[in-house]
Amino acid sequence: MLARPGLPEFEYIRAGSSQDVFDLLKEKGADLKLMLGGTDLFVQMRDRAQGPGILLDVKGLPGMQEIDYRQRSGLTIGAAVTLNQLSTDLDLKEKYPVLCQAADTVGNYQLRNRATLGGNICNASPSADMAPAALVYEGEAVLESPRGERSLALEQFWLGPGSTALEGDEYLKAIHFPPPPPGARGSYLKLGRSRMGDLAIVGVAVLGYPDKSVPAGLRFRIGLNSTAPTPYRIPAVEEFLTREPLTEDLISLAGEMAMEISSPIEDVRATELYQKKMVRNLTVKVLKETWESLR
Amino acid sequence: MKISESGLIGQSVARTDIIDKVTGCAVFVDDIQFGPNLLHSRLVRSPHPHALIKKIDTSKALALDGVRAVVTGQELSARMGLYLIDRPIFAADRVRYYGEPVAGVVATTEEIAVQAARLVEIEYQPLPAIYDPVEAVQPEAPLLHPDLGEYSVANFIFPEPGTNISEHFKIRKGDIESAWEQCAVVAEDRFRLPSIEHVPLETHTSIALSETNGEVTLWASSQSPFAMRDMIAQGLGIPHNKLRVIAPMVGGGFGGKAGVTMEACAVVMAQAVPGHPVKLRLTREEEFVGTSVRQSLVSDIKVGCDKDGNLLAMELTYYFGGGAYNDYGVNIARAAGYSCTGPYDVPNVKADSLCVYTNYPVGSAMRGFGMPEIHWGLEQIMDQLAEKVDLDPAEFRRLNCVRTDDEIVSGMKMTPINLEACIDKVTEAIDWGKEEKPTAPNKKRGKGIAIMWKAPAMPPNPGSAAVVRFNEDATVNVEIGGQELGQGSFTVAAQIAADVLGVPYRKVTVSSPIDTKYSPYEWQTVASRLTWSMGNAVKAAAEDARKQILETVADHWDEDVDDLTIKDGLVISFKSEREQPLDKMVIYGLPNEDFEGWKGGPVVGRGHFMPTYVTNLDPETGQGTRAVVHYTVGAQAVDLEVDLDTGQIDVLKIASVYDVGRAINPDLIMTQIEGGAVHGMSSAYESLKFNENGEPINPSFVDYRIATIADIPGKIIGDFVETPIEDGPWGARGVGEHVMVQTAPAIANALYNAVGIRFSDLPLSADKIYLALDEKLAQER
Repeated sequence: MLARPGLPEFEYIRAGSSQDVFDLLKEKGADLKLMLGGTDLFVQMRDRAQGPGILLDVKGLPGMQEIDYRQRSGLTIGAAVTLNQLSTDLDLKEKYPVLCQAADTVGNYQLRNRATLGGNICNASPSADMAPAALVYEGEAVLESPRGERSLALEQFWLGPGSTALEGDEYLKAIHFPPPPPGARGSYLKLGRSRMGDLAIVGVAVLGYPDKSVPAGLRFRIGLNSTAPTPYRIPAVEEFLTREPLTEDLISLAGEMAMEISSPIEDVRATELYQKKMVRNLTVKVLKETWESLR
Repeated sequence: MKISESGLIGQSVARTDIIDKVTGCAVFVDDIQFGPNLLHSRLVRSPHPHALIKKIDTSKALALDGVRAVVTGQELSARMGLYLIDRPIFAADRVRYYGEPVAGVVATTEEIAVQAARLVEIEYQPLPAIYDPVEAVQPEAPLLHPDLGEYSVANFIFPEPGTNISEHFKIRKGDIESAWEQCAVVAEDRFRLPSIEHVPLETHTSIALSETNGEVTLWASSQSPFAMRDMIAQGLGIPHNKLRVIAPMVGGGFGGKAGVTMEACAVVMAQAVPGHPVKLRLTREEEFVGTSVRQSLVSDIKVGCDKDGNLLAMELTYYFGGGAYNDYGVNIARAAGYSCTGPYDVPNVKADSLCVYTNYPVGSAMRGFGMPEIHWGLEQIMDQLAEKVDLDPAEFRRLNCVRTDDEIVSGMKMTPINLEACIDKVTEAIDWGKEEKPTAPNKKRGKGIAIMWKAPAMPPNPGSAAVVRFNEDATVNVEIGGQELGQGSFTVAAQIAADVLGVPYRKVTVSSPIDTKYSPYEWQTVASRLTWSMGNAVKAAAEDARKQILETVADHWDEDVDDLTIKDGLVISFKSEREQPLDKMVIYGLPNEDFEGWKGGPVVGRGHFMPTYVTNLDPETGQGTRAVVHYTVGAQAVDLEVDLDTGQIDVLKIASVYDVGRAINPDLIMTQIEGGAVHGMSSAYESLKFNENGEPINPSFVDYRIATIADIPGKIIGDFVETPIEDGPWGARGVGEHVMVQTAPAIANALYNAVGIRFSDLPLSADKIYLALDEKLAQER
């Protein structure tokens, strides 16, 4: 049925410490939803008849809004860092440009002032724009609970549409990225129905870098969204591309392989067949561009 | 055609509403404050596309704290309509589309109203639903309106009781059978156009107040305050002088705020709680479902020409998917019928234009009113025929396009236009005939052209009235009932009044909001008719005021009226070179010598306009002396490229040229041309989509994509031609709707030119284009 005109009633609590979060999760867990930017959450609450009774805002926890880059250990982005904050960060632009590029494709400028990286990851939408880029930089979810801190590769963090490995007593504190391989180049290409603000029909991120240990002399990481129950990498294709020196034909074959692996479903945005073909074409296009930039 | 007094006519003066809109001062319905007395409401909508209502139980809803009233169609048998009285305010015994209002809940807050709406228990008996207009005319189709024969209907609309056909307009012209024999070449095809929504930024909002004495005031976002008053007054039996409609600034209309959609629901709910204003504000999702949409159309077109390309015969069937209620939509099928050939000179025509009930949302007025619908097929079939007879599409159109004084399809003599000049200008603007390289190797480039015509579609005699009122300081208030929808009607009204009165433009204010209690009558702000019809009324009112002033001064000076004029707020005499400032005298008059009495008095000019020359058409042949007041014509040409990797279209250039009669304000025409090109693009790429339950599956900005600033064409080249008409102010006619009528077929023709594939069904999604390209490549291999 049709959405309501406003949000259902809820209690808003802003957590001051991780202990607050643990206590409330323990006490009210079933009726509580953790909140960052809220840009997806509010829409979901408006669309549904019932919402969570409590929104626990964790943006104010220490470190949540910080970007920390270290040459040796890499990059840690607090879960509450906004997409605009992320796309204008100079360290990121230099070391992790595909993340910045992906951030700029989300919604519109006003929305990106609120939308956060952590929210985009935790919402676990198959079409999450930050996901392909986060995957090719081998991001890890840093999770905090009374049991301590643990890290989980994003591929293990996403379980299905809207579903994550987050335990009932945990929250996402940050996303950590190891230092990118030396000489890495890449980009994110998104296909929408219009040029601005649409959800991805298909999004492909590629990161390529020199690697003398393989016959190709290059390695590629490929991350995709919108065409499977979760965002995903395609290791079989990545491995295939290491086997011999790269040619245009090999890239075309890689595109065909990516198309075979993808498992989109028809929705209001696109047919299944079109999505599959676009996986192929976009993968080929970004691979070629990345290859060019590495030469 | 008298020339402009002050040179204001033809000048791009700044809009009257620009400061208000830029600074946020402009008041829209939802901005009006009503204090704590205000109640809120929600509608309970049907979850079925077609069902009988067996029982409604409102007791649980009424028991909820804060609920003041629940109304249903069971206590109210009123029906409404503009041309065909077929629409209940709340469904009584049957629902005919998903989202139809069945009950209304009034409560102290919107949130309580939402909760209460869920507590209204309604028992339905689902009926088979029908969505395709071609299937709906078949004898075995489920019948939506078994009582069609009992509905009141305008004398020029012809429903067929016992079927789902709410209007059947016929053209029988010439001798079609023998004409086919003379044709050297024939093209035939079926085209489909789905429904689209108006998507105004401001959703429909109304506040109704029923006083304890029975008088009703309705604040509404409306293109038609007077038609709204008329329809609701008739539907609910309220005397017109006891129903007051106040229509502030409109945040986008495009036809969606013409007539009545949800406003009557607000009035009925307000009548249940006298003394309390009741607000009804639709969500974006409801805007898609519960207001009105552009009708869908299936057109079967067969057209033939001789070996030189001269059009000889045309046979057409238009199946308009009118949705559940066709009270307004019947006239779309009629307009499509009497203009069925498009802007072409065709001697032999057989056409049947049908408006058909379906279990989809109400199809109604949208920018173009039937013309974008029919031109989608017409402008493609003409390219198909041109190709068959081996003529360039632009040349084919120059050869066959309608010209001044031609006897057109309805038997009427064509009013003055110059369509060839429009074709010349657009082809020149995009270097027609010159093959251009695509901007990248994976792209294909193509050019396309499409032409159009459109007449204001209305009853034969819709009127406009205006009052011009002077103030002490010789500033002027122009009072009209026409609405400002962003198109610039207030600006044009002020420009016309200032020009005739000889006062500076900045001294003229158009009184707003439009208020049926004080504003002079205007039929509706639709049909691109205001510059023409309201313009005539304002001109007449200003001339009346001017006459009063000049007579007073002439009398005072003992001179002849013909020797006087007004310039920059001064009455001057050519003869005596005397001067008389307008301030004070336009209210207090002028004293006689030695103050022995006075002359004149407060100057108030009145004027009206109503076309008196439109005739009826023969119901069997569609022929008559004058089907419409006039036509506006125009041409568009598109230069685009298609990305072969994605199927995405990129419009590089679009040229639009229309014959406007006389350009009162060229900048306002350009803004229409730009907006029309973008609106036309959106109408080519997107549509409403429904599931098998008749429920829209993309009723939001997330999944209903309209073109944004990032999607607009690289270059929009706009221009106009001026072939004046006799009955417009300085020869002017409307152009507001025309600018998007043929954009979709122009794109489709360019697409065909680029990739050699003909797309007969809208929308032109990248998905559809890519897969068609892929299939073509596979076949060629």
